[in-house]
Amino acid sequence: MNTRIAIGALLLAALTLAGCGDEPGSDLPVNTRLGGDFTLTDHNGEPFRLSSLEDRVVILFFGYTHCPDICPAVLARVAQAYRNLDKQGDAGLVQPVFITFDPERDTPAHLREYLPWFKADIIGLTGSVAEIKAVAEQYGVVFLKTDGQDEVYDFTHSDFIYLLDQQGRVRKLYPADFDIDEVVNDVQSLL
Amino acid sequence: MMFKAFFKPVALAALLAAATPAAAGDLEVNGAWLRAVPPVSPTMAGYFEIRNRGDRVVKLEGADVAFAGGAMLHDSRTDEDGQRRMVHLGSVRLDPGDRVRFAPGGKHLMLMKLSQVPRAGESVEVCLTFANHDDLCTDFPVRHNAP
Repeated sequence: MNTRIAIGALLLAALTLAGCGDEPGSDLPVNTRLGGDFTLTDHNGEPFRLSSLEDRVVILFFGYTHCPDICPAVLARVAQAYRNLDKQGDAGLVQPVFITFDPERDTPAHLREYLPWFKADIIGLTGSVAEIKAVAEQYGVVFLKTDGQDEVYDFTHSDFIYLLDQQGRVRKLYPADFDIDEVVNDVQSLL
Repeated sequence: MMFKAFFKPVALAALLAAATPAAAGDLEVNGAWLRAVPPVSPTMAGYFEIRNRGDRVVKLEGADVAFAGGAMLHDSRTDEDGQRRMVHLGSVRLDPGDRVRFAPGGKHLMLMKLSQVPRAGESVEVCLTFANHDDLCTDFPVRHNAP
């Protein structure tokens, strides 16, 4: 528990101390404490490197498909933001990316079936537990598998949504119940 | 697809019925709904408000749902360090006069091991089960967002 509190405090500090350099065209500061490039496995089973999206703004979030409450709600909100951007002709400039905490059950095949339902061209990423933990640490995300029986287990986790610019830099964090219009406006400020 | 054939004809009636509270004796359920999820989703969540209008304590324990292999009462809680965790609730106590809300981001009914996943616009019967009370069965419309 102490470790979790310490990591949570670090995350709060990272949010408070989020970078100093404003970029031309956007008021969103660059968060220099969180983020960075990574490689995981996408829903097609292929290696996926974040920096391959260098021409797009990224909406990055973590979760798992067995989560019945928060995760589908976040997925639906991200999808709505994407569709709102699509209506304004900006969908090709933004990429939602979902990283699972649960590679055991969220295989590439399962993600490939699960994510298209949200109609938001979401890239699903998985990997080994070690690989996912490493990426989570880059973004200040903590997750902990809880004990369960008969494949019924959950995760304790932080649930921020990350807005990354075309260089993969974290520009803003949102809570799980984020305002969809705010995200749309923030994305467009980076385009 | 038996499932679709069954649910489509009842969808309208069930949506209309959802506007009025379901009751079993001294218990009343309002605003019931299930969050729409992908057809391959292993779980889905149900939300409602339950009120005990009786004069004795009642304990809600779970639910029976035809298309789910199990149902649990959960609470999504945020710890002081900002971590979100799901807590399994063995039961939820309803004292006389209590009104307990199951809502996104808080208490919810978690349906597991789904044999079929009802679609948005359909409606399914969920029977809430209690330690010391008859089941309370009512239709839960499937929706993308809270009513």
